[in-house]
Amino acid sequence: MTCPRCLLQLQTLGLLGRSAARCVGLLRTPSSGQPSEPQVLRHFHPSPGSAKSRSVPAEFDRESHKKRNKSLITHDDLFEQVAQEAKTKAMFNKVVDIFTKRDIRRRGHVEFIYAALRKMPEFGVERDLTVYNKLLDVFPKEVFVPRNFIQRMFNHYPRQQECAVQLLEQMENYGIMPNMTTKVLLVQIFGEKSHPMRKYQRIMYWFPKFKHINPFPIPQKLPEDPVDLARFCLNRIANDLDAKVTVYQMACTEVTESGEEVTLPYIVGIQSPSQMELLTKHNPSRPVFVEGPFPLWLRKKCVYYYILRADPPLPNEKVEEPYDPERCLDYPLQLDFDLGRDLGDDESFDVEDLDEGPVFAICMTNQGDEATLNQWISGLQQSNPVLGQVPTLFRLDAGPQELDMLADIKSCHNHRPESELLKEDWLPEEEPEVMGDEELRRSQRMK
Amino acid sequence: MCGCGYVHCSCLTEVFPYPEIGNEELEEINQLVAPVEKFFNEEVDSAKIDHEAKIPAETLNGLKELGLFGIMIPEEFGGLGLSNTMYARLAEIISLDGSIAVTLAAHQAIGLKGILIAGSEAQKQKYLPKLASGEHIAAFCLTEPGSGSDAASIQTRATLSEDRKHFLLNGTKIWISNGGFADIMTVFARTEVTVDGVKKDKISAFIVERAFGGITSGKPEDKLGIRGSNTCEVSFDNAPVPVENVLGEIGGGFKIAMNILNSGRFSMGSSSAGMIKKLIELTSEYAATRKQFNKSLSEFGMIQEKFAVMALNAFVMESMAYLTAGMMDRPGLADSSVEAAMVKVFSSEGGWICVSEALQVLGGLGYTKNYPYERYVRDCRILPIFEGTNEILRMYIALTGMQYAGKVLTAQIKEMKKGNIGLALGMMGKKLKSSFGVSVDLGLIGKDGVVHPSLAESAKKLEQNVSLFGSTVESLLYRFGKTIVDEQLILKRVADLVINLYAMTAVLSRASRSISIGLRNHDYEVLLANTFCAEAFFKNNYKMTQLQKHSPENNDANMKKIAKALLENRAYICSHPLERTY
Repeated sequence: MTCPRCLLQLQTLGLLGRSAARCVGLLRTPSSGQPSEPQVLRHFHPSPGSAKSRSVPAEFDRESHKKRNKSLITHDDLFEQVAQEAKTKAMFNKVVDIFTKRDIRRRGHVEFIYAALRKMPEFGVERDLTVYNKLLDVFPKEVFVPRNFIQRMFNHYPRQQECAVQLLEQMENYGIMPNMTTKVLLVQIFGEKSHPMRKYQRIMYWFPKFKHINPFPIPQKLPEDPVDLARFCLNRIANDLDAKVTVYQMACTEVTESGEEVTLPYIVGIQSPSQMELLTKHNPSRPVFVEGPFPLWLRKKCVYYYILRADPPLPNEKVEEPYDPERCLDYPLQLDFDLGRDLGDDESFDVEDLDEGPVFAICMTNQGDEATLNQWISGLQQSNPVLGQVPTLFRLDAGPQELDMLADIKSCHNHRPESELLKEDWLPEEEPEVMGDEELRRSQRMK
Repeated sequence: MCGCGYVHCSCLTEVFPYPEIGNEELEEINQLVAPVEKFFNEEVDSAKIDHEAKIPAETLNGLKELGLFGIMIPEEFGGLGLSNTMYARLAEIISLDGSIAVTLAAHQAIGLKGILIAGSEAQKQKYLPKLASGEHIAAFCLTEPGSGSDAASIQTRATLSEDRKHFLLNGTKIWISNGGFADIMTVFARTEVTVDGVKKDKISAFIVERAFGGITSGKPEDKLGIRGSNTCEVSFDNAPVPVENVLGEIGGGFKIAMNILNSGRFSMGSSSAGMIKKLIELTSEYAATRKQFNKSLSEFGMIQEKFAVMALNAFVMESMAYLTAGMMDRPGLADSSVEAAMVKVFSSEGGWICVSEALQVLGGLGYTKNYPYERYVRDCRILPIFEGTNEILRMYIALTGMQYAGKVLTAQIKEMKKGNIGLALGMMGKKLKSSFGVSVDLGLIGKDGVVHPSLAESAKKLEQNVSLFGSTVESLLYRFGKTIVDEQLILKRVADLVINLYAMTAVLSRASRSISIGLRNHDYEVLLANTFCAEAFFKNNYKMTQLQKHSPENNDANMKKIAKALLENRAYICSHPLERTY
């Protein structure tokens, strides 16, 4: 109920605000250039309070303007200076501390926070809630809390609010859930019904709902070891608790007799008992195929896998096991009359035995040539002797290396080659730098 | 009950009037029962048997002297030669000790049954006398590590030796009752047979003596209940079995196994009833003497209800068991295996409820080893498991009926599916009629009715249930046809319905007879019969309403979904209630 009303209110406010902003902007343009302020922030109308605060003597204003200009550069500079030393969380925190201690009025904190937000991924703290809270803490407390209904009705301290919303938005994009501290800080800084508070509430409404929406979550940190990664991927593809992962060969470097160095690729495969059963039932006169590579994206990582499959059995080849009346000691397994199911759909569906043919096994390797895959097949043959009689054909596409290169080229163009399809995880996680127009538009819409 | 289009239970003439035995037989059985009862009350120390997990030799000797090892072996072979009915009567007393009951049942209900059913004259002459006297003890070896009901996965193999005089047995059998000391075993194994020039593996049955050699028994299993009975693994390592020890013919083992299993079950009804009757005596004593708030326990409604439940169950079990036994004793080879299965399912589940209620009457005392209740609870738990699990037996009950109904109704349903309007209208009329409560007259009540008028209300309920059941089965066949085999949840309800209908029939038949011949306390029987029928009527109606609905409505689909999610993950998948996401 209240939600649409709020939205409506906000919209009218926004309209009002925009027109007001335009007026104020017109009035102000000559005196204050605000050259570095992002244009998008304009849609917040300045509150009467802020307008009042602006009416300081021109001299003072100029000085502060100069100072801010200067400080703006120093914020980025500060981070860059530190960055030369080490890009760590401790360093980042130190910069924030330096800023907060430098000036009791926290002059230029908005710019500082924007700068800090930009630098977060660089310092590897973009997923750290405490850092976000620390950044929020940079805002002076109670100053921006509206004190009367007029202030509350209009946008009180719009740039500050906008900045805090931006901070929350970055948290959102990285999938970081705010905590109680965040809320307390926001209340202290902006009051109960401010825009950042609303943003916080929206995040708190949706985040818990979406937290476990992906039934197949990918861990934030993928295994480093390629074999472990392959194991993880194979289990993910096969999704069968009975399936067994076998490492057919570990990656290693060998020196041959002639002195050449040969790097052996790793080969990791997976097969489930039901797949083994399907394979034993396979008609040995028909070939099986090794196909691949097929890509599998895990967040920003792409890996490739190969499958061993066969064509679907011909319709006349499908032999139904003859009914043996002497099979079950206790009850008839089949009834002896001629009546089919009425309107009942055949709901049976076998994950492995598909119309496009059964898949018998899957493997991953870092070298997708025929020789390597042949090794996999011979490894499989130990547990599936039938493979010895079945002709195996290799239908391999361009190797993953080339594909890797392709992906690299693509990523240069796009930054996010995985595109929408790869938003497997529950939250988008773009670099804030590459946040496109769309994002901005969306964030505006939310406000 | 032929009118319902779904005949399970046998026709009216078979269940009405309730089967009787002759006066001489009655006298004979009473003479037999008295010493057995005395023996069990005085000589058998069940607590000790349970504690030591062994039946003492003197107890076994006592049983042998009483002739209890050869109850059903004909007198010419030295047994008691009793009928099924009399066997059921003895089972009531034998069941007072679970371990002894299982030992004896493994010996004669399944162990030597093969020789009785399919043995040649020579085999009978050779083995039965010693088995009847208890000098030799028999066991039944069918189950294998990889094979319960699935005959195709039996791995034990019998190969003919080169001189064609012996079979060599190889394989392992598990959960063999009496396996540790049995001298004679009925063993089922795979043999190669040539059918129409094609070599095939078929199951054959063999009489194997431990003395043949090559047989080893494993350690006795440490069980929850029936601890005094011996259950262990038996392995055969090139055990030589002479060709004349093949039971029946080579490759005919499947039928023999099925017959033995089917015939061994009926006595469980009277066994459970015997046990419950004993428990009623024990607990009512306690309920009458224990006082709370200046009232004895027996004055509390909830305690009274427990006793009523026990009495009802015992009454129904008895009625079903002796009706079935009587039907089996009738001359001619009527197949009563479905009825026996129904008795088994009903009595094993009812027995479990009653034993646990009896324990509940005593509360904490019942939970201690000072009283026999906990032992009864443990012993009783085996009943739904062995001799065919209740799940499997429900399938058997339901599918046997469906097979029959399917044969009768196929043509009619096909016509209807083709769109025969006349037939469809006729069906609709029938349905309308039954929905107004006009049921098919089965001839139970009325001028020539077989049910006593004081049970008329209950008989009417039975008739109503039966006619509705007929149309329910028809609609099930219409909906699922042959594929009903895969609809286990539906089959379970069908089986429960059939069991209830059979139970209703049995109590009506028994109570009618009791009134007619003026048995003592027959008014109490009428009360029990009416109470049971009223309860079963409601249960049946509920089940049939569920059956007429499709799976999303009767929760079947949900149940399957719930189970599937768990089984896919092999764990309980709900988040912990203390878990949080923010």
